Amino acid sequence: MSTRRVLTMLAPLAGLALVLVLAAVTTPGFYSRGVLELVAFQAGLIGITALGQTLVLLVGGIDLSIGAVVGLTTVVVATVSAGRGQQLPAAIALAVVAGAVVGVANAALVLLRQVPPFVATFATFVLVQGVITAWTRGAPSGTIPSVLRPLGSGHLLGLPVPLWLFAVLALTVGLVLSRSTTGRRIYATGSNRRASQLSGVRTGAVIAGCYLTSSLLAVLAGLVNAGYIGYVDAHLSRSLDLDSVAAAVIGGIALTGGKGRASQTVAGVALLSVLLTWLIQLGAGPGAQLAVEGVVIVAAVWVQSTDWASRLRRRGSRSGPSPASGPASVPAGHTP
Amino acid sequence: MSTRNTPSVVRRRRVSALAMGVALVTLTAACSSQKEGAPSAGAGGSASSESCSGASQAQAQYTKAWSQTATEVGLSKLTPVQEKVCQVDTSTWKKAPKSGSKYRIAFAAQGPTNSWGLTSEEAFKYEAKRKNVDELYASANGDATAQVDNISQLASQDPDAMVVVPMGDGITGQVKAAAAQGIPVVLCSGRLGGDSGAVSTVTRQYELLGTMYAEWLAHKIGEKGQVAILSGLAGVPTAEFQKAAALKAFAKYPGIKVVTTQYTQWSPTTAKKVAANLLTKYPDLAGIWSDSGYGDLGVVQAYTEAGKKVPPLTGDANNAFLKAAQKNPSVQFALSSFPPEMSTKCLDVALDAAQGKPVPNFLNVDSKVFTNQQKDKYLRKDCSDNLWVPSTMPADLLKRLKLC
Repeated sequence: MSTRRVLTMLAPLAGLALVLVLAAVTTPGFYSRGVLELVAFQAGLIGITALGQTLVLLVGGIDLSIGAVVGLTTVVVATVSAGRGQQLPAAIALAVVAGAVVGVANAALVLLRQVPPFVATFATFVLVQGVITAWTRGAPSGTIPSVLRPLGSGHLLGLPVPLWLFAVLALTVGLVLSRSTTGRRIYATGSNRRASQLSGVRTGAVIAGCYLTSSLLAVLAGLVNAGYIGYVDAHLSRSLDLDSVAAAVIGGIALTGGKGRASQTVAGVALLSVLLTWLIQLGAGPGAQLAVEGVVIVAAVWVQSTDWASRLRRRGSRSGPSPASGPASVPAGHTP
Repeated sequence: MSTRNTPSVVRRRRVSALAMGVALVTLTAACSSQKEGAPSAGAGGSASSESCSGASQAQAQYTKAWSQTATEVGLSKLTPVQEKVCQVDTSTWKKAPKSGSKYRIAFAAQGPTNSWGLTSEEAFKYEAKRKNVDELYASANGDATAQVDNISQLASQDPDAMVVVPMGDGITGQVKAAAAQGIPVVLCSGRLGGDSGAVSTVTRQYELLGTMYAEWLAHKIGEKGQVAILSGLAGVPTAEFQKAAALKAFAKYPGIKVVTTQYTQWSPTTAKKVAANLLTKYPDLAGIWSDSGYGDLGVVQAYTEAGKKVPPLTGDANNAFLKAAQKNPSVQFALSSFPPEMSTKCLDVALDAAQGKPVPNFLNVDSKVFTNQQKDKYLRKDCSDNLWVPSTMPADLLKRLKLC
């Protein structure tokens, strides 16, 4: 394992430890059951979207439409079901179809029209927001069927259901990435798409699959959030895009594609959830929350982009043999 | 070789930079709630007026609004914030319709970004049709920057008068320019600091709401205990002026300690997360001052799910919260509304100004104030969650908007 990879993996854990210490010092009640439950819920919701974002980042893309899909899901569920449990399956089916359409649209723009992923997914974000506004005339209303409440507010073995969902999904994504052909194709596509194509990988299908999965996970996050509050919330989509990218990047998923593991995203999600909860406990306003989140992302990117192996080699050559291994140019994070 | 760039010096610099970064982050987080969202302009608010005669009726109506509000929520007294209400002579604007036989009134609206915005503009359109007035419409989509362009574009069409729902102080220059162009401008459901050149401001007074909520809460908790303030959006006048008035009112009570000020984005989801944090950090909260019924939905859920008694709280009167409160009879609250249909009054004032009739420089829009004891009277079970109650909008409009 290269030095850079070790450092990239250790950085979020070190950050997490730092925030946990700061939280313990500044907010004595941080380790109470109530606060830890909040962290767990936050981790569950952000984590589900961050896993989808991770897949898209691994193939060299980015998905900025996640928040819009989350918002669209709650609007569809509330409008179609009108609070009636009998209508819930149809409402969920429609939400899944709507999410899939967004995922396919993202993939089509990126693959068929060669639109940069940032622009393509931002365009669908704006489009979906426009559709929601036009459909609801800017005033989404309605209640969420109560049978959905356990998905957002329920507990299983003392832990919030969203956290369990995230754990199962993280395990699944981790296994797919590390142990399956699909995982190898995702890494290969993200590392060098042209070479992968020449090797017979259907990179278009791989990329489209990642965008589709990201959108479907956003639908699930939308259902979780709908179950959490029980109402349509017009403000839902604002923060989840940033949070999902932030969690993945903080964890060490490379924005350039092809590098990173699901476990790193889990570490990033843990750090971000603790950080956000701590900031609220501190009484920080929304501006400070965004600023701190931004600082942590910049720090994560800085850690990623720094050539630690060369630095350590240079230092080692000054003070004796170095244990650092592997050239810095070797791609880190590959798990084939 | 210079010692300035030796590895140890560089290392020390990096460590210092890192330490400073961590300190900065911590400091920013700790201090931000004190600084964010501070109103950028002075309370100001009133439109400009040179003459201040013949306004005794308007002044009396303003003062009465405060005393009536106090009575409605069971307070002995509410001292009005000083506001000089004047009657503005609009004879200089008096003229026949500039084009055709109908007056053309421009409406720089918030836009249908939420149910309040949608209802506000639909009520305006309905009233314009009823009064046989042509409407020029522009939506800011909730954004002050977009509204700067909107006002310029509307002014370029030379309307007989203009109604502006201000999205922030950034539009003051355009409002001044429109007024200088000879267009009487009415500020609606909000205000601008300083002299904006607007002929009149028609709104539900922020200070009245913020002060009344705070005084009711102080009375309810026996003038002592910990209070949390849940405001809407940082920097938005509707949130900031109400919050400032509340802080001023609470400061009069030495036994009351405002332990935290948080923003809910007027979102039940955010409010629920914030309230869940409040529960852990301030388990002995005596009351919650909130400016939003949607926010209150999240607060009630957080407390209920934690098995804790909901502290007395305040907010604006939306049907969604009243429906939730119906299921939670123990919740104590005081509500009032910032009625979206006040846009019809704004149109009336704009039309008066265009016709040269005198108008008040400030018109406080009255709206009912009530507590949990009267919730059955105001709850509209037959209507949508998005309805602000009590609504004075006509039944056919409520039906068309699917509000009832």
